[in-house]
Amino acid sequence: MTDFDTTNPPRRDDLVQRIELMEAMIAEGRCTTMRYGWIFLMWGLLYYAAIGWQMYLPAGKFAWPVLMVLGVVIIQIWRWRALRSGRNHESPRSRSIGAVWGTVGCAFFLYMGAAAASHHIQSPAVNATVMFFLGLAHAISAVILRWRVQGAVAAIWFAGGMAMFFAPYPASLIIFLVASFFGMVLFGLYTMMLERQRAASLVQHHA
Amino acid sequence: MSNPDDSGTSRDDLLKRIELMEAMIAEGRGFTTHNAWIFVLWGVVDLVAWSWQNLIHTQFARVWAWPICLIAGAVLTFAGKALQAKPKGVPSSVACGRVMAVWLMMGIAMAIYVASAMITHFTWQYSYIAALLMMVGMAHAISAVILRWRVQGVVAAIWWAGGAAVFFLNSWRATSDIMLAEMCLGMIAFGVYAMMLEHRRGGHWTNKTA
Repeated sequence: MTDFDTTNPPRRDDLVQRIELMEAMIAEGRCTTMRYGWIFLMWGLLYYAAIGWQMYLPAGKFAWPVLMVLGVVIIQIWRWRALRSGRNHESPRSRSIGAVWGTVGCAFFLYMGAAAASHHIQSPAVNATVMFFLGLAHAISAVILRWRVQGAVAAIWFAGGMAMFFAPYPASLIIFLVASFFGMVLFGLYTMMLERQRAASLVQHHA
Repeated sequence: MSNPDDSGTSRDDLLKRIELMEAMIAEGRGFTTHNAWIFVLWGVVDLVAWSWQNLIHTQFARVWAWPICLIAGAVLTFAGKALQAKPKGVPSSVACGRVMAVWLMMGIAMAIYVASAMITHFTWQYSYIAALLMMVGMAHAISAVILRWRVQGVVAAIWWAGGAAVFFLNSWRATSDIMLAEMCLGMIAFGVYAMMLEHRRGGHWTNKTA
């Protein structure tokens, strides 16, 4: 099916079928991101909660580890429930998106864990790295799904990462808060809105 | 012939889909092996920069070794891609596109990250070196999951282990040794291995041999 060469060129029907399949897979991949849109919102809010706890509540040093682990636990519970109820449909493209975010998550926790355990956490390079990791995940997803909005989100994270190097260290908190707002909270709300619209149109279609 | 299940998908459809997925994975691996020379090239570029900076103790080498070598690496990569012969069998752009997206975006992110750190003189931080290793490991890991390729998964683990070790060993000597080991194992050795696979395939992207 895929072994085309110059002596046996693909037929027009094959090409059309293939393009249709690719378009369907792109749509499926976007739907996956939309279904998981609440996760972006949740992480954005968890970042704000962690910063608030660290600044204004006792035992501030536990704020980030506790809330980050809480986020992972919530996602795992949700995935487990989705798997049990059979809602976890997987296409090649949604699997790729899952691979991107899963891997970035692992790298993020490994990097931050190692940085925290070795007391290197307070450095501009660490702050910039966090933002570049997130930007990279968005950028890869955006290219795979051909999704400009997500590409813009990736650009926000990259710009934030660059700003971490150039801005004075006290400004890093503001840069992170702004990037989190646009790159997590707003993008999460936007994808959730798209998911609602899609669900509503599906209901109308079936009615 | 076709037995639709509850969701309306027939057995034939499912089989076709599995075949397509397998073909795409094979194509993606073929794409990686076809471009394996880039791993070797960057391994050599990094080794040259490392040697220049560490073995020739001049102010010029200390400041300019990495920028010059990295720019040379980028130029050689573009030139090599322009000159590279097209493989036999036109690939579907689905799997290759995904793997290409991973490496392309990783390259762009790394370029911005490294340039920003160099301009602002933060390249001396361990966290900067660790981040570079983690990012390369991340690209390998994503590619390994997409292509279900254990060897590349091991390479990703090597990069990540190096990144974590930089933090804990906390010395420039150790960091330098880790960089050297990563370049030899994670870049050159993997590149040579992938080139060997490509040679065995005879340039066909869709042979499922790996």
